[in-house]
Amino acid sequence: MKKKTLFVTGGGSGLGAELVRAAHRRGHHVLCTGRRAIADLPSDFPDLPYLSCDLASAGGAQVTADWVQSHLSGRRVDCALLNAAAGYFRPLSAETPEAISEVLTLNLDANIVLAHRLSGNLEGGTLALIGSVAHKGAAGMPVYSASKAALDGFGRALAQEWRGRVAVRVLHPGPIATGMSARAGRKVDLADRLFLSPRLMARIILDAALAPRGRDRQIIGYLRALRGQILPLGRQAA
Amino acid sequence: MARVLITGAGSGLGAALATQCMGQTAAEVTALDLAPGKPGPHWVVHDMAARDSCIWSGLAQDLRARGPFDLVILNAGINATGPFENVALDAHQAVTAVNLHGPIRLTHMLLAEELLAPHGRLVFVASLSCFTGYPGAASYAASKDGLASFARALRRPLRKSGNICVQLVCPGPMDTPHAAQHAPKGAKADRRLAPGIVAQKVLDASRSKFLIVPGFGATMAAALGRLFPQTMTRIMGRVLFQRLKARP
Repeated sequence: MKKKTLFVTGGGSGLGAELVRAAHRRGHHVLCTGRRAIADLPSDFPDLPYLSCDLASAGGAQVTADWVQSHLSGRRVDCALLNAAAGYFRPLSAETPEAISEVLTLNLDANIVLAHRLSGNLEGGTLALIGSVAHKGAAGMPVYSASKAALDGFGRALAQEWRGRVAVRVLHPGPIATGMSARAGRKVDLADRLFLSPRLMARIILDAALAPRGRDRQIIGYLRALRGQILPLGRQAA
Repeated sequence: MARVLITGAGSGLGAALATQCMGQTAAEVTALDLAPGKPGPHWVVHDMAARDSCIWSGLAQDLRARGPFDLVILNAGINATGPFENVALDAHQAVTAVNLHGPIRLTHMLLAEELLAPHGRLVFVASLSCFTGYPGAASYAASKDGLASFARALRRPLRKSGNICVQLVCPGPMDTPHAAQHAPKGAKADRRLAPGIVAQKVLDASRSKFLIVPGFGATMAAALGRLFPQTMTRIMGRVLFQRLKARP
């Protein structure tokens, strides 16, 4: 299998960190950014180029794009996995203007900047946008839902514009046991036991992103996980 | 007398909504836009893309004197058309700021300030692109899908808390300055819906209806988009994006 150059955002923790690990295990060349400082990364985090940068900060996405381009040395980005996101499980009345702005900037605007800046580097590659099943409109998290629906609409339009040049895929994972749900303020209940493990989800998402063909918008949930386990057709070896 | 707030009331659909509200229901209309428009409604000057919290607290103060509102229509919107990478980043960022950040922030403020009257209506103006996709206007499509999902998420909580009815309008192309600026070359303006007709449909809509898609053509396109989302976006790519790309 050919070694590929991957770029992952939000790679310091959660699903992003598992995406980085899975890609690294498969021997790909991975560039990774995250909000965490390098010193705060887990001790077993793979040794690879890592930029500590907050994509929601002013100019953060521009700095990140510059950093990626400076590390490419002529190679293209075979696959950009734009995964960084934040959200809160709370009604609109409990939101603050600052948090609304942060969530929309990180989950949507930063990805628009990265796609725009890296469009030339992605020629022939894949742009994978990590959405959420909440994009359909979840009453408990209106702002997060809006940001993920916006990402879906963005990817849907861009997939058509770039067809034949860059494959654009919006991958919508179901709930994952990353602790984001508890951090977002949702009470931990029985449903949490049904969340898929980030490690399994990362493998499925990586397969979906790197597959030569695939639908523009995909839901990555239980059905997909089962299909991957029972019928590992066309799956790359981990 | 009913109190109405309309954003983007200076032109197009917003202007038609303001005119009809005042003409037919003698409502007390507060009209919001970047600059005051035709005399009639009470004008409040505000930029929906504003980030500064002072500007938003200034708006809150202006609206407190005019509310609480029985009908709020979040209509203000801008577009940036052309191949995604050829449109300047600033233009894309302005689109998401005006069309998504602004309305969410304004809705948050209306709730915090209790400016939505009980039994009132809160109407979001999205786009037919929510059903068809919109290659050639990726940031616009993003903002409108975001707004639609936001409306869906608010529907139940607002009905429970103050019996406030949340509605979503997805109009197709209208005969407005906005469409004239962003339609591909050679598009026929007389095929587009008059904003007055859309405004009437919005104002007449029953409270039990969440989604309002005005006009037969738009209704058909929305139905097809629901059934065949990817095919519909490919068709949009062929009939719209290819022509937008050819635009100088």
